[in-house]
Amino acid sequence: MYKYSEKDTQFLVERVDQFEKQLNRYLSGELDEDKFRSLRLRNGLYMELHAHMLRIAIPYGILSSNQLRALADVADKYDRGFGHFTTRQNIQFNWIQLPEIANLLRDLTDVGLHAIQTSGKATRNITADPLSGLTEGEIEDARPYCELIRRWFNLHPEFSWLPGKFKIAINGAKLDETALRIHDLGLRLVKNKKGELGFSVYVGGGLGAAAMIGPETASFVPIEDILSYLESVMRIYNLKGRRDHQKKLRIKFLVRELGAAEFSRLVDEDWQQTKNDPELKLNLKELQSLKEDFELPIDPIDLKGFRDEVDFNYSIWKKNNVRSHKVSGYSIVTISLTKLGSAPGDATSEQMRILAKLADQYSSREIRTTKRQTIVFPFVRKDEVFDLWKSLEEYDLSSPHQGTLAQIVACPGRDYCDLAKAVSIPIATRVQERFNEMNKLLDIGDLNINISGCENSCAHHHIADIGLLGMQKNGEEYYQITLAGETLHETNIGKKLGPSVSSETVVDAVENIVNVFIDNRKSEEKFTDVFKRIGIEPFKEKVYG
Amino acid sequence: MVDIENPTSLINKDYESIELVIFAEWIEDFERLANLGVGLILEPGDDVYLIQNQLDLIDLIALDFSNFDDGRGYTQAYLLSKRWKYVGEIIGINAHLDQLQFMIRSGVTSYQLLESYKGSNEEDYSNGFSLCYQAAANNNGLNLQY
Repeated sequence: MYKYSEKDTQFLVERVDQFEKQLNRYLSGELDEDKFRSLRLRNGLYMELHAHMLRIAIPYGILSSNQLRALADVADKYDRGFGHFTTRQNIQFNWIQLPEIANLLRDLTDVGLHAIQTSGKATRNITADPLSGLTEGEIEDARPYCELIRRWFNLHPEFSWLPGKFKIAINGAKLDETALRIHDLGLRLVKNKKGELGFSVYVGGGLGAAAMIGPETASFVPIEDILSYLESVMRIYNLKGRRDHQKKLRIKFLVRELGAAEFSRLVDEDWQQTKNDPELKLNLKELQSLKEDFELPIDPIDLKGFRDEVDFNYSIWKKNNVRSHKVSGYSIVTISLTKLGSAPGDATSEQMRILAKLADQYSSREIRTTKRQTIVFPFVRKDEVFDLWKSLEEYDLSSPHQGTLAQIVACPGRDYCDLAKAVSIPIATRVQERFNEMNKLLDIGDLNINISGCENSCAHHHIADIGLLGMQKNGEEYYQITLAGETLHETNIGKKLGPSVSSETVVDAVENIVNVFIDNRKSEEKFTDVFKRIGIEPFKEKVYG
Repeated sequence: MVDIENPTSLINKDYESIELVIFAEWIEDFERLANLGVGLILEPGDDVYLIQNQLDLIDLIALDFSNFDDGRGYTQAYLLSKRWKYVGEIIGINAHLDQLQFMIRSGVTSYQLLESYKGSNEEDYSNGFSLCYQAAANNNGLNLQY
């Protein structure tokens, strides 16, 4: 597994030292609130409703078991014994005390973890496919590119004070697990007619109040030219992005106002000036070295004659949580952290340590995080899947919810977040209670529900089959429903169903929507297939009578 | 004193006083001002591309970094320094301590901190890190890895 060099670790230490000085200047009154805000956000630190929230980067969603143990230690030493895996594959701690921040970050540098640019108006951690390198039919494993691009934007001198935050997703697979077209910038690895590798670039996607699917600004940028192209995108955004309107800071507003064609033209014009600059060429030697670092730690094994255990509960879990691996003899296992009443994505320090131990035992010491707030074990031998499940059962981590309606994605909501307009977690719990029968969940099949507590859309409700957006109406909590959002095969923003529904009736509305789906689906149709075939009206009729 | 509207001045890197004009005034009257040996103040919102072909007429360019969160000055510095090879002094004025490393690597050649940072240890913030991960306008003194 790829590990930071000593120089990289030294960089992390220097960054913590610098932030500690800034923190001390703030605490002594030398640094004012506004400037400290800008600096602390670039180090992942938020002032939340009850305490301070610190977001730690999990670069492109990959963790070693030792890193997960270090996060468990942080949860115990500095938090209340748990952390929260986010929809951008990072982890957050919600109960951090300000004077302890530097010590916490210093503890993490030992295992190569940090909070650099996990917030603020800068380039954020890259979202990647949690199955990178694991499935058949990939164009190319995206991870080495993720790492090179991560390095490039790390404290980039020209682009660290952007108009707004800037989120990148990179995908090398045919299916889009990253939702790249709803990112500020999405990169899709592609091959041209000559078989050469490059990127299609999509700029200006985003969720929030003005959800937008990012248009393609370049259909093929050769891999060696990607940094100069990215610089040109950032340069146009940095100079022309809206800084005058708090709600129009993101690049999607610039792209929309200029038009995708004009934006692309400006980027291209700038790029022509730099694409031949040798300093901006992707370092192909380093790329090769990273490809070796990211080589899979497993070889094919012949399990001829292997027969898996027969167990009713195991078979249900296996159906939902285990998928095939491109390396023969191996499986990919998804572990759901969802439990009734707990916040989606929450993990206790004890669970983190158990997962680390099981990853050592069953998954070559590697763990991946997903935008559905689940944990992936990428390298499990097929003949050890049952043993892993037994261990997960023992520790109450064998929820078979993966891919079912009960695997709800929800932001922390108004219980924790001072931006939220409504609660998210209690709604998730009520939906899970309503659909608590495993047979029913299996009958419904693959259907996702995402719940955001405000328009910031942290739970990505726009791209779920059923999206719920919390809002306030006359002091009461209401939820706007969107249907049939998707990103996997194609990208579509969910369509608004109609007027928002009250907190009391929202779970009934969800059940009605699910029933319309079940009553109308043919054979293997997914929710989005049914929606495209029958339209929104039958859902409206059922929900609003 | 030269004949310019609302003149301000600053001390350049050679400790000489130099008169500064604002961008709008320069654009309107650059042919006359060019002979006066003045410097130019560029605000973040000023269109730096408009002076691209006039750079050899300008003795010094002062980029205003007073707004902590407005990052346009870094791109202005990059364009002037790296792309257009401006040889005059690029001075970051109203600079903030915590942003010195970003300014210097973007191509700013000298700086004047805001008064409120008087007495602070500039080296803590101007030296940058032992490692940087990308090429920039100014890579001097840095241990490159990208």
